[in-house]
This record gives sequence, structure tokens and C-alpha cells, in this order.
Amino acid sequence: MNKIRILLADDHTVMRAGLRLLLERQEDMTVVAEAEDGRQATELADAHNPDVAVLDIAMPSLNGIECARQIVARHPKTPVVILSMHSDESYVLRALKAGARAYLLKDSAESDLIRAIRAVRDGKSFFSPAVSKLLLEDYVRQVQDKGEEDSYELLTGREREILQLLAEGRSNKDVANLLNLSLYTVETHRGHILQKLGLHTVPDLILYAVRKGIIR
Amino acid sequence: MAGGTDTGYDLMRDSAAVHVRFGSKLALLAGFGGLLLLIALAGADSVRVLRTIEQNHRSITESYLAGRHAMDTLQQALWHSGSLVRDYVLQSDPVVAEEDLSALRRLRQEMEEALRKYAAEVPQAQESNFAELRADLDDYWQAMAPALRWTAQERKSLGYGFLTGEVFPRREAVLQTAGKIDALNELALQADDRRSAALFASFRRRAFAVLALSLSAGLALAGVAVSRILRLERDARWRYQEIVTAREELQRLSASLVQSQEEERRAISRELHDEVGQSLSALLVDLGNLAAAMPHRDHPELAQMLGTARNLAETSVQAVRNMSLLLRPSMLDDFGLVPALNWQAREVSRRSGMRVVVSADGIGEDLSDRLSTCIYRVAQAALVNCERHSEARTVWVTVRQTGSRLALTIADDGKGFDSRKIRGLGLLGMAERVSHQGGEFEVESEPGQGTVIKVDLPVEVKDGLARAEEV
Repeated sequence: MNKIRILLADDHTVMRAGLRLLLERQEDMTVVAEAEDGRQATELADAHNPDVAVLDIAMPSLNGIECARQIVARHPKTPVVILSMHSDESYVLRALKAGARAYLLKDSAESDLIRAIRAVRDGKSFFSPAVSKLLLEDYVRQVQDKGEEDSYELLTGREREILQLLAEGRSNKDVANLLNLSLYTVETHRGHILQKLGLHTVPDLILYAVRKGIIR
Repeated sequence: MAGGTDTGYDLMRDSAAVHVRFGSKLALLAGFGGLLLLIALAGADSVRVLRTIEQNHRSITESYLAGRHAMDTLQQALWHSGSLVRDYVLQSDPVVAEEDLSALRRLRQEMEEALRKYAAEVPQAQESNFAELRADLDDYWQAMAPALRWTAQERKSLGYGFLTGEVFPRREAVLQTAGKIDALNELALQADDRRSAALFASFRRRAFAVLALSLSAGLALAGVAVSRILRLERDARWRYQEIVTAREELQRLSASLVQSQEEERRAISRELHDEVGQSLSALLVDLGNLAAAMPHRDHPELAQMLGTARNLAETSVQAVRNMSLLLRPSMLDDFGLVPALNWQAREVSRRSGMRVVVSADGIGEDLSDRLSTCIYRVAQAALVNCERHSEARTVWVTVRQTGSRLALTIADDGKGFDSRKIRGLGLLGMAERVSHQGGEFEVESEPGQGTVIKVDLPVEVKDGLARAEEV
């Protein structure tokens, strides 16, 4: 079995060493490159074409979010895991918009990183429980505050199914194959889902799914 | 230290001012008092002079009129006596002659009476003339005396010669002396006129002198007063300017204090988050690695210790993250105002259960750091107020940009307060921050009516210059 080849980018040397040790302990993982800033990370991604990129947000020369955007653009097959100190939704949302598939808090890296890497390798999303808990709480409060009907109730069963798959990070094509639907039908469903939920992009949709507790 | 010097300088100025105030009071009192005294003295002098002139004139005129009257009476009686003597001398009828004689005696009495009256009022200069007149008159009557005892015969023969030789020349002498007295009286009157005129002239000169003196004293006084007032005005203006400058300096100082406080918060927040937080996170990873490398089953107590250490590190990371966010949320620097406001709103909601609705459509990330910080801090302070004092259920935080103005509104549905009476509540600090950015700050509240805080700020264009200023 091929090992998962991982790019590790963090400006904190001790952190990087610890993470490498953690990852190398797994039989199915190997760290192929280590970068200490964002620019170096994109270069190393080009050089090694890793299976997964694990990026810190606060890095010199190019921050993790921009770095994720570049890596996703150049290597669509390389899922990005963001590993950050920030728990606020503004960071999560921006990371998702930049194309990241997983968002982890550094203080839970030790327990979550391995699961997150495996999840994104399998084409799924992953969020630190602390992050998804915060997002979920805020969503619930917002719904309560606004006193409006939960728009999730407006979705049909098929739409909920598709929502979950999309939120897990699968492409339209994957969804179409999995559900035995035409690509066109999936795209139409996706449009309806976004419209009903008042969302605009797939990252919005992922965030929504996390808030709702549909995925974790 | 600048403050110490300033205080000393002010004290010096104050004591000088006290001195000057007393000095000028005395000088003004003396000046105006002297001027009034001068005018009063001049008035009294003129009244006195005029009265003297009037009195002199009246007494001289009275004495002149008395002399004149006496002389007139005398002259008339004399003329009359002359014609009576002539009638008597030429009269043949003894009865008529006797009547003439008695009329003549009456005339003499009249003349004596007039002279006696005048004698009391004769001026010194006229005394010799008066004595001469008396002598002439006595001579006149004595010369006439023998003829009065004449018979009709004697009168007829001697009468005419006696009249022309004795009586008439003497009468002429009396008249001449009386004329002399008249003339002298006239002279005295004229002399008096001249003296009065001279007195008037000297009075006029004195009056002119006093007038000139009063005018020049008044002018000098006015000059002193005007220059003093001008100096005071200049002083007042100078002091006002000083206060304005001091206030501006204070404002600059407070702005730079706020600025440096913000810088420090930013630095500490960063340091906590990026260094301490990172290290603790690394520690957590290492602890995990350590736990994995350790033979658990053999040493359960070691595993327990590791677990405790991990919990401690986790708690610490969370504490550091919270501290860092409370000091200055990293979103403000990383993504701008709106994410920071949203985070703050969520925090307040989570803490207090109050609903916080943020609406900031169209506010981008390109607001200047100063402006974002100002709005964020004002909103933060306002939300803290709402949380602590308002008992509000909902707070609406609205940011709107129209052209080059940015408006922040924080409105709540709480119990409100009397915004005319109550200050404090951090309002002063908010207003201060807003004024540093050249904006306007307004609080509207009434008991039971909720509270609205309105901030209006000019938007600075974030270009190289603005950035350079921020350093």
C-alpha cells in the first residue's frame, strides 16, 4: 500500500518536528517535505506533488490561506488541511473559500490530524470538534434570534443527500456517479439547495453543513 | 520636566497680574478723581469770581446813583432858589415876598437834607469835593442872608446889583463843585467798568488754563486707560491661545496614548497568540508523541501524569487564545473591521444572551487601520455598556459608508438613561477616540427609550501617506 505523502508547512520549528514525529509514527503516512513559510510551501508542493498539504495560517511571506489557494489552483488533487491557532469562523470561512478541505485547531492536532488527513484523502471534509461546536452553537443562536423557520426544512430528501455529499467535499461528478444521476441533474439540485439556503458558494455550503452538524 | 517650569511661570505671571491690577485700580482712581476735582474747583472759582464782580459792580453803581441823585436834587433846588431870590428881591407886595422867603427856607432845608443823606455815602475820593461843596453852599446862603432882611425899598434899589454881583456867582460856584462831583462819580463808574473787564479777562484766562489742563489730563487718562485695556485684551487673547494650544497638545497626547496602547495590545496579543500559543500547542503535540512512545501498561501513574500535563497545556492554550482575542482580535488585523465586529457580537451574545445584530454591508477590508480600530473599540465599549447597564434584549450595530463618511450606530432596546445628566459609562473615552479621527460622537437616550450611539467619521483614503502616518 502506498503511503500518504504529506507536505508540512509551519514556521514554528518545534511544532513542525512534533507533527513530523506524529505523522511518521503512522504506518500509512510519510512527510515528504517541510516548509517554514508559505512561499516555500508552494514551491515544495510543485516539486513533490504531495497527497495532502498541512498548512499553518500565520506564516511569514505568504499566509496559509493564500498558500492554500495557490496549491489548490495548481494541484487540484492535493487536498489542503489547515492547522491553525484561530478558532473564529472568519478564519474557517476564508480557509474554506480558499479551497481547504479540513480545518483543525493546533491544540487538537495531536488527536485530530491523523483523522483529518485520512478524511481528506478519502475526499471528505474534516473540522476540529471544537470548531464545529462553535459554528453549530452560533448557527443555533442565529436561528433562534431570527425566530425564522429553519431553512433546512425546505430541502427535499434528495437535496439533503446531495447537500451532505457536496459538503463532504465531493465533486458534482462524484455525486452524480454515487447517486446514479446525470451531471446536469446534480448541478440543478445544487443550484436549488444554494437558493433555498440563501447561500452562494460551495464553501458557504460546507460551513452551513458544519454548523448544522450534518458533517463533522 | 516641562510641567514644573510651566507652573512656576504661571505663578510668576499671576503675581504680576495681581500687582498690575492693584496698580491700575489706584492709577485710574487717582486719574479720574483728579480730573473731577479739577473740574469742580474750576466751577467753584468761576462762581466766586462772578459773584465778586457782581457785588463790586452793584456797590459802585449804588454809590454812583446816590451821588447822582443828591447832585440832581441840589442843582434843581439851587436853580429854584435862584429864581425865588430873584422874585423876592423884585417883589413889591410884602405878603408875596414873605411867601417867597418861606419857600426859600424850605428849599434850603431840602438841600441840607439831600446833602446830609449823601454825606453817609460819600466815597473817600469825593470827600474834599464834598467839603468844598458844603462850604460853597454855606457861602451862598450867607451871602444871601442880609438881603432877606431888606425892606421893600432897599430891595428895589439894591436888588438887581445884589443878584448879579453876589448871589448868581456863588450859585455858579456851587453848581461847578456839584458838576465836579458828578464828573468824579462818572469816572469812578468807568474805572469800575474797566476793573470788571480786567477781572473778567483774568478769569477767562484762568478758565482757559483750567480747561486746557482738564482736557490734557483727560486725554492722558484716556490714553493710559485705552493702552491698559488693549494690553489686557492682548493678554487675554494670548492666554486663550495658550489654553487652545494646551488643549490641542492634550488631545495629541491622548491620541498618541490611545495609539500606543493599541500598538501594545496588538503586540502582546500577537506575541501571546503566535509565540506562547504555538509553543503550548507544540508542547501538546510532543506530549502526545511522548505518550505514544511510552509503554502505558507498565506505568499507569506516568500515563496519568501525562494526561494531567496535557489538560493543563490545553487549558493554557485556550486561556492564551481568549486573552489574545480580548486584547485585540486578530481578525481586525487579518481581515478588517467586519469579521472583528461579528466576532465581538458573537462573544457578547454568548456571554450575555443578548441578541446582537451586526449589519455592515459594503464595508470592505480596505478601511484604514486607525478607522477600523476606532470603530471596533467604540462598538466594543458600547456593547459592554449594553451588556452591563441596559438590560437590552437586542442591540443593533450598523456600519454604513456613504461617500467619504462612515457612520456607526449602536442602538439597543434597553432601559436607557438621561443622556443630558449621565456621562461616564465609558462615553468620554468613546467620544475621545472619535474626536481623534476627526469624527462626531452623539448619544441619544431617555429612560425607557433605549439608547442610540451615533458616530460619524471621515474616511481617509488608505494610500502611502496614510500608511506612513500610522507608523
